[in-house]
Amino acid sequence: MATKMKTWLIEQALDHPWRVIIICILFTALLGLGLPYIVIDNDFMNMIPEDNPSLKVWNSVLDEFGSTERIFIAFGRKGESALKPETLAKGWDFVRAVERIPEVDEVFSIATMNRIDSDDGFMNVSDLQPERNLTPEQLTDLKAYLDKTPDMAVRIMSRQGDFLNVVVQPKVNGDDVAMTEQIMELGKKMLKGYDVHFGGQLYLTSRIPILIQTDIMRLMRFAILILVIIMLLNLRSFPAVGMALSVVILSLIGMLGFMGWVVHITGSNKFYFAVLNASMPIILLTIANGDGIHIITKFMREARKRQDVRDAIRSSMNTLMLPVLLTSLTTAVAFLSMIFTPINQFLGYGISMAFGISWAWLLSTIFLPSLLNLKKWDLEHVSLAEKSIFEGLVDHIGNQVVNHPKRVLSIGMVVVLLGACGLGHVKVEVNIASFFSKGTDIRDSIDFLDQEMTGTMDMEVKVDGDMKSPAVLKKMDALQTYLESKPVVRTTISIADIIKLMHRTVMDDDPAYEVIPDTRAKVNNLFTLYSMSGDPDDFSSLVDYDYSEGLITALLQNIPTSQMGPFIDGVNGFIHDLGTDDFKTTLTGMIIIFQEEMYLILRSAFISISVSIVMIFLITWVFFKRLLWGLLSVLPLSAAVILNFGFMGIAGIELSHVTALLSSIIIGVGVDFAIHYVSQYRHYVDKGVPAEEISRDVMGDTGYPIMLNALSNMGFGALMVSAFLPVRYIGGLMVFAMISTSIGTLTLLASATELLKGRLARKEQ
Amino acid sequence: MRRLIVLFFGLSIFSGIGWAQTGYDIAKKVDQRLEPADLTANLTMVLTNSKGKTRSNTIRSVSMKGGEKQMIWFLAPADDKGVAFLKIEHPGADDEMRLWLPAFKKVRRISSSKKGDSFMGSDMSYEDMTNRELDEYTYKLLREEPVNGVDCFVLEETPKPEIESTYSKHVTWISKQDYTVVKEESYDLSGVVKKVKTVEYVTRGKYILPVKMFVEDVQKNHSTLLKFEKLEVDTGVKADLFRERNLKRLPR
Repeated sequence: MATKMKTWLIEQALDHPWRVIIICILFTALLGLGLPYIVIDNDFMNMIPEDNPSLKVWNSVLDEFGSTERIFIAFGRKGESALKPETLAKGWDFVRAVERIPEVDEVFSIATMNRIDSDDGFMNVSDLQPERNLTPEQLTDLKAYLDKTPDMAVRIMSRQGDFLNVVVQPKVNGDDVAMTEQIMELGKKMLKGYDVHFGGQLYLTSRIPILIQTDIMRLMRFAILILVIIMLLNLRSFPAVGMALSVVILSLIGMLGFMGWVVHITGSNKFYFAVLNASMPIILLTIANGDGIHIITKFMREARKRQDVRDAIRSSMNTLMLPVLLTSLTTAVAFLSMIFTPINQFLGYGISMAFGISWAWLLSTIFLPSLLNLKKWDLEHVSLAEKSIFEGLVDHIGNQVVNHPKRVLSIGMVVVLLGACGLGHVKVEVNIASFFSKGTDIRDSIDFLDQEMTGTMDMEVKVDGDMKSPAVLKKMDALQTYLESKPVVRTTISIADIIKLMHRTVMDDDPAYEVIPDTRAKVNNLFTLYSMSGDPDDFSSLVDYDYSEGLITALLQNIPTSQMGPFIDGVNGFIHDLGTDDFKTTLTGMIIIFQEEMYLILRSAFISISVSIVMIFLITWVFFKRLLWGLLSVLPLSAAVILNFGFMGIAGIELSHVTALLSSIIIGVGVDFAIHYVSQYRHYVDKGVPAEEISRDVMGDTGYPIMLNALSNMGFGALMVSAFLPVRYIGGLMVFAMISTSIGTLTLLASATELLKGRLARKEQ
Repeated sequence: MRRLIVLFFGLSIFSGIGWAQTGYDIAKKVDQRLEPADLTANLTMVLTNSKGKTRSNTIRSVSMKGGEKQMIWFLAPADDKGVAFLKIEHPGADDEMRLWLPAFKKVRRISSSKKGDSFMGSDMSYEDMTNRELDEYTYKLLREEPVNGVDCFVLEETPKPEIESTYSKHVTWISKQDYTVVKEESYDLSGVVKKVKTVEYVTRGKYILPVKMFVEDVQKNHSTLLKFEKLEVDTGVKADLFRERNLKRLPR
């Protein structure tokens, strides 16, 4: 049945090439109609499963206290006081314009905050900056107030007093990207003449996906150009390169169109195109290109041998149909294994990649042979008549493997063991601020906001307890003092701060009373007093409506993920020591979410790698009908995975949202190389080639396309010059993956099969 | 024309409807409605936020001259019991407002400079609570239509340019029968509806008094329900009551 199907497919390509080509293009175009439905997603929170406890807490805080993700804008002139009428007026205009953006919920700045004053028994809640243009008296008064309230000053001004801080809190579920764009536009237009720095997780999550995608697209052009040049140098035929590329392009259209259709039909956000999906086109390009290269090089060898195009196509496809099916199946399964991971978007990633790989298989199997068939090949052309440079190189490696298999295997194993030493040093980094190397605009702005302003990372402590109880408020105050003692914490705020300030104000501005009052009745009186002259919404981000929940917000410098755990442990320890009978707390904020993402990425990487290797082993065992072949098939890719992570550990490349997925390239490509090698080996065994000659012949047949595939993808090394670290890592790891998987196959697998040749050949016979 | 305070503390009944009345004429009739010399009531105020959470207070209010002088004692919840508030309006000057904080045993003065600030966390601002002067607004009769079965004039009131207001205009539904304000929409400075109020009345002798008022801030999705109980009018309250020392004494 399978043979009949194979023959039928080959005959379709040979007898009706135009029909096959038109049908393939039509179906791809149909899929391509889904492209407009692709949704670009910048919300990192969508990665986290809905039932995740940390996400639930995060959402409950959003629901009660509003968004905790913010955009920070600092503007001023270095070394020049920001408290000048002209600067304050500019800030006033900017803030009013930002407030008018529909997606903005609240703006915190000198132009929007309140002050609480006491004057001869008079409590007054008024605007910190009463109007756009301040009189000299008002300016003096403002300076004096900020001197008196350093906690407030640190939130709205730089340490040196030369920059003003504007913090924008968005509405929940608003269009953050559009809002960020508008704020940036306003900043550029209205704050001309000032140094302006943007920052905050919301800013980064809104901007980074766009920047990274733009950067990848720019560098991809170079990568593809290099790929084409290398293929041209080796295949020495423009039409052949064009045919390989057409398979790649149609596969990409098919996969991305599929994503769009799924979103359109199901509405699932798991199929949105997020920053981690940026690697999908590169991975599919690599895998789809691999299939094409194997078929084209096999065809050229057969054409050289048989001097007949139809015969060459028939023979090539007869030999490669099974391995190409198998490589596609195993690679698709490797990606499908991602559906078992806890990260939401990996499901869409895995399924879409599996679809793209299947589409590439279909195109390689019927579309590509039809194209080969249509071309009027000149059998005397150099591309068919002579071996390329790399074929000679591969012959040399083949000789080494055949002559010294033990040495080659031993050296390979030592390299893998050395690589394994780096495994323990792999670090996970999910803080997207660290995606930028020092010297880039974004990183400089983040560093400025960290060093000079409030910092842009946050931790929220949600407190369940009586917000009018002095005991609870004192614990909140103590926790804030603890947090502020940490060098990475720039400032904290909670309702306890407001209570202390009101207490002082009521007690005739006596600093000795800037403490939590000793009775509940006094706290309640202060709230009542405020309600008489302040807006009740003023406290909405600090305490809930019935005073049963409060929020402590700590603003921190950006810290590496590795420092987040100890920091959080310290906070939890301090809370435990405070006593939790009347003081139930839950931590949330970006720092907690990052830590959660770290665990999810680690688990996802572990699950996807383990499941895919096991599945590939089982599939190859079944297809090749032998346990030993199953084990040999996963040998090079397992070694490459170890080497990859070991290399990351040694080179200091962190495992992130993006790099975690690149292990899929290793598995996807590694298994392809191994399967081609094993298939060809079995083919020669079946043909009765003597055991002593098989390895050399297999090397000759598969070594070259493997090397060519690996080499052509070296073009992705161009990504290493990107300004964005994850894009650099994609480039670096692509190069590494290509080297490790190709060399692994041609050394470890080849030497292992050579050493086991007696057993493998005898058993097959 | 008077608004909330007027609504709180007594409105006279005007009879007869002149079809040729202008907007100003109608507003004048509302302004001239009969008010009690003094009014005492227990008020229950229920605040509801956008998530449906509520807070409630019960206060005892005594006022004179349509609210020009007013004393409020907090009766409930227990946390607030004993807190007391005194307001005396001074024409052409800031209102005098004081709060007694029993836990601190101190009286604190409160600023009335921000007209748009909320009063006691409710959806009523100080501007809403203050008498609106007839000649500070221009009036336009928009149409006539019934509201909840009551035939009404629909009047548009726009503050004159020299008047500092947090609203751009009000649209008010005034009962044709007794010139009480049945409903009112208040628009913010950008011309968008900010608050919607509806009022229900009861007759006490020669006065028509509010018994229920619902104010919704439609922009914040926050509402305030006021219920008036134990209404007493013209009981002979003396001006002497509205002194700071009386804040400390809870009424029986």
